[in-house]
Amino acid sequence: MIAELPSSSTLIAIIINGISRGAAYALVALGYTMVYGVLGMINFAHGEVYMIGMFSCVYAIGAVSVLWGDHLFLNLACGLVVAMLFSSAYGYANERIAYRRLRKAHILAPLTSAIGVSTFLQYFIFLNVSKSKVDFPRYYSDWLAGGHVHLGEVDITYLQLAILGVTLVIMAALFYFIHATRLGIALRATAQDQLMASLVGISVNRMIAFTFILGSALAAIAGVMLSMYNNQMVFDTGYRVGLKAFTAAILGGIGNIPGAVLGALILGVTEALTTLIVGSEWSNGTTFAVLMIVLLVRPRGLLGERVVDKV
Amino acid sequence: MIALWPKRKRKRLDPTAARPLDKTVRKLPFFLGLGVVALAAVFLAGCQKKADTIKIGLAGAQTGSDGQIGVSMLNGSKIAIEEWNAKGGVLGKQIETIALDDEAKGDKAVTIAQSLVDDGVVAVIGHFNSSCTIPASRIYNAAKVLEITPGSTNPLYTEQGFPDAFRICGRDDQQGSAAAAFLHDQMHFNKIAILDDKTTYGQGIADEIKKTFESKGGQAVVYQGIGKDDSDYRANIDVVKGSGAEALVWGGMYAQAGPLFVQLRQSGVTIPFISDDGAFDQAFIDTIGANPPNVYLTFAQDYSGLPAAQDFAKKYEARFGQKEGAYSVYGYDAANVILTAMQEAGTTDADKVSAVLKSHPFDTILGKIEFDSKGDLKEADYVIWTIKDGKFVVLPGNP
Repeated sequence: MIAELPSSSTLIAIIINGISRGAAYALVALGYTMVYGVLGMINFAHGEVYMIGMFSCVYAIGAVSVLWGDHLFLNLACGLVVAMLFSSAYGYANERIAYRRLRKAHILAPLTSAIGVSTFLQYFIFLNVSKSKVDFPRYYSDWLAGGHVHLGEVDITYLQLAILGVTLVIMAALFYFIHATRLGIALRATAQDQLMASLVGISVNRMIAFTFILGSALAAIAGVMLSMYNNQMVFDTGYRVGLKAFTAAILGGIGNIPGAVLGALILGVTEALTTLIVGSEWSNGTTFAVLMIVLLVRPRGLLGERVVDKV
Repeated sequence: MIALWPKRKRKRLDPTAARPLDKTVRKLPFFLGLGVVALAAVFLAGCQKKADTIKIGLAGAQTGSDGQIGVSMLNGSKIAIEEWNAKGGVLGKQIETIALDDEAKGDKAVTIAQSLVDDGVVAVIGHFNSSCTIPASRIYNAAKVLEITPGSTNPLYTEQGFPDAFRICGRDDQQGSAAAAFLHDQMHFNKIAILDDKTTYGQGIADEIKKTFESKGGQAVVYQGIGKDDSDYRANIDVVKGSGAEALVWGGMYAQAGPLFVQLRQSGVTIPFISDDGAFDQAFIDTIGANPPNVYLTFAQDYSGLPAAQDFAKKYEARFGQKEGAYSVYGYDAANVILTAMQEAGTTDADKVSAVLKSHPFDTILGKIEFDSKGDLKEADYVIWTIKDGKFVVLPGNP
């Protein structure tokens, strides 16, 4: 509990931190919401795909820096590309192995399968890659995470700006892609009715695989940025962040792309304000209280629509 | 469209579908026979093994975020036990170790404590985290198994009144008052911020520091817990920044201390950062860099200058191929002390060994140590350490 009222600069700093934390959740939440929008299933293994992105980025950076030295931007770019490739490969493999055959099964079957994949991937990394925490190499993150932009009395780091910027750009691009391109129209057709979509010549399997690959690549970007932001990763990071991102997607209305971002931002700011007002030990409590209140008032989330009546 | 129920396939009505089961039933005697043979083999093997060893449990976090420090502690004990075995064991019998991982989780600690008791261990060296040691100690106490922890500093462990519970390190009330004295008397701070990881250990030490610091006339302007799973501390740091605190105290482990410190400095906050024995691991330095400004830790006296400790460091590196951890020596000493006491008592009976342990001082790498009636060390001094050139060093000008 705090004794006096916080100063306005503290309040603004807290809100900015909350927004950037929320933006990071949003990048993961987009993956949940896309898969749900197309398939009507919740891909619980999405958090693990994100975690694999984190790990493959750090290991790729390590490998290339041994190979050709410490080139800041080149190595970071390599790390990011490798992370996106690995995450996409895992995302695609998950769909191909664990979900495709269950597409016509009862709704609980792919859900259970997803939880199984999630646990399997966690322990796969745990047993084969690292049992303890792995640090993100500070040489590559300090220039972003340590540099500041002064905005009145408040400092914003380059990394926070980057996270927020990337999230907004990706959200806008996704929105445009889904609503205004041929591929996006095909994707929406698949989401509405797989049988009809296949009758007009859309390859349903390919569209769904594409959704997984796209969502996984976004998760990899989120993973790289968040591992720079939080300095560390461990095998169950994905599970924890995934749970928050999933909550954000539900809060904003699952299946809805701006909704996922809005939900994530609200979640991030709620957590940050809780830290200021009652203490961070309550942040999970208030987060889920907000979720419950929103769901009681709007059962489909903030921007959820009634039309997508799939399940 | 996702159908609510899968369409039933006609194929299942095929009468031939029942055949595989018939085959299995016909082979049933064969499988049963196989099972009986396997069971008998396991049983015989179990009997043979049981005969002539003394079992000692090694319990602690071996995986997860506290894995590194936990494993280095257990490895210390392993070296001691291997040395005893090479000399012919204890009470004329070889020592068998059973090492189990509690993952730094209290519920898991209780499970493995029960499993160690069921396996018939006579003593347990462990656990590492106070949140594991305390719940597990109730099981060991009920089963009359001696427990000695090399690393749990929460006072509650020995305040439960268990006759066979020992600790070979200091207590958080001692550690907390050392930290508070440093902050108030030496650094002359009046306002500090305290964050902890909400575990038995982290919150325990944070409480002790707060209590002592406030009794000296200071003020804890921020006092908050951070979930052990959290990794973004910027909101907490903003609160600390806005509170005007002159120092930040962290009660918790190195896995969170590292990123917390890094994020603190990245946010442009340069106030001193004080942590405790939980952060005293090489991994903390690996995360924050070799010469971090304004970092202090409370830990026991420096023993690295003693010849015995240097020998041990060499042995440890030769045996495990890496440098010892902060609690390796404590693990080694804990094993040596209880085995010496068993030899002297002439039995493995927990109460008798416990009586020997409390009766006189023991020689260890850390010097002469003596247990009081609760099972704590009679003398345990905490001093302030800092980090220089990638190593923990005692802060100069500090008793």
